[in-house]
Amino acid sequence: MLSRFRSQPLLTYVSVAATALGLSSCEMLEFSPNDHRSPDDKQALTQKNLTTLLAKPLPANDTLRFVYTGDSQRFYDDAEALVKSVNQQKGVQFMLVAGDISDFGLAREMWWVDDQLRKLTIPYLTVIGNHDQVGNGRKAYGEVFGPLNYSFVYGDTKFIMTDTNGREYNFNGRIPDMPWVRQQLQDNTVRRHVIISHVPPQDEDFDPAVRDAYVTALRADPRLVFEMNGHRHDFSIGQPFNDGVTYVNSYAFEKRQYLIVTMWGDKEFRLKKVPF
Amino acid sequence: MGLKRRLLLGLLASIWVALPVQAQTDAQPSAGPFFLTLHFAGGTGLVALGGGYRVAHQRLEPEVLVGYLPAKLAGRAAAVITLKTTYIPFSPRLGQSRWEVSPVAAGGWLSYTTGQQYFLTNNSAGRYRSGYYWWSSAVRVGAFVGPRLTHLGHPSTPRPSRQTLYAELGTNDLYLVSALTNRSLKLPDILTLGGGLKGSW
Repeated sequence: MLSRFRSQPLLTYVSVAATALGLSSCEMLEFSPNDHRSPDDKQALTQKNLTTLLAKPLPANDTLRFVYTGDSQRFYDDAEALVKSVNQQKGVQFMLVAGDISDFGLAREMWWVDDQLRKLTIPYLTVIGNHDQVGNGRKAYGEVFGPLNYSFVYGDTKFIMTDTNGREYNFNGRIPDMPWVRQQLQDNTVRRHVIISHVPPQDEDFDPAVRDAYVTALRADPRLVFEMNGHRHDFSIGQPFNDGVTYVNSYAFEKRQYLIVTMWGDKEFRLKKVPF
Repeated sequence: MGLKRRLLLGLLASIWVALPVQAQTDAQPSAGPFFLTLHFAGGTGLVALGGGYRVAHQRLEPEVLVGYLPAKLAGRAAAVITLKTTYIPFSPRLGQSRWEVSPVAAGGWLSYTTGQQYFLTNNSAGRYRSGYYWWSSAVRVGAFVGPRLTHLGHPSTPRPSRQTLYAELGTNDLYLVSALTNRSLKLPDILTLGGGLKGSW
């Protein structure tokens, strides 16, 4: 009896039980919920999804069509339903999630969202939200998804994804990163620009010290089709600064609706609301 | 949700049902001895050191742990201070051996993670309006169940030593809230694994 127990330490027993439950004990072995490290298959998802997207390039002058949504935070059941609906859409090239992927800024939450969204037949891309920065969330987002500011060109359009969650930086006057944003907007090699971030500039969570610089830079960009946000959990479209620049806000996952955005010509676009 | 609910109810039931049946075993002192703990993972740091004092006729092990979370794992190095209690409903001796096995011990913990990036409350962070975030990013509470194996020292000594090896499957409040509000999250998604050694001499 004695020797049998000596040769079967309890950790082995637990890991056998865990394997029986279909778990990887490595992922369960948690040092802190704030641990930002991520397993290989849930790392650098932005880069991986961009590689998938760019493997199917959109010919010049072809109509661009993507799904626009945001705020997946703790709406895993809604995410499941959204994926089923989006997978039935024809002619959609990718999906954008406008931040607040997680609710508590924990890596595991980002994995759970990816568990659903990786079932999409199209790649998806994200931008960081304020909830994704709570605690050690900024590092977790960086590990699971990738850079907080990045851009990519698809078809005739440059998508500029930027961190506008100024309140999470105590309004330090450096968010969004205006030198980076201006540099991106100055790219005149692409026909159209779209800029996407989580917190809209007219929101109280946008750094008031950077608002004018941001709005002015957008107004000055002749290639900008519109600016897109999440954060408010509901759809809106308008020109809050009455300067000719259109701002579009996404539905949150919980609203059980998303947008299909179609773009053509120089700045032509159409938004279609899809309930699911 | 079914499996999760059943396991949670089972955990609660095992605690409440077992309490009144506490065997007032003959030679068991009602409290003591002090013990030291070396704990690994389970959400309370890479490793944690601490100790406690056995009470309730050897059924409860309240303890304090101080864990270390290296910068490599969470941006900046942090300490995780944990108040924890383990309830051991039964711990039968293996025949005439010096070994005891507890198939299910259960317990709960409350931890505080140090560091500027974790706020104690939404308001103490100083940058949010009231109610902006409803939870504390520094404080976690959790629950666990797991088996234990204990080796008893020779009974002829006045204070027999005992060493316990244990493992714990648990979860924390934020994972639990996520699972309870989404049927698509399964129990394995929210489980965490930890374990350690306890000893008294």
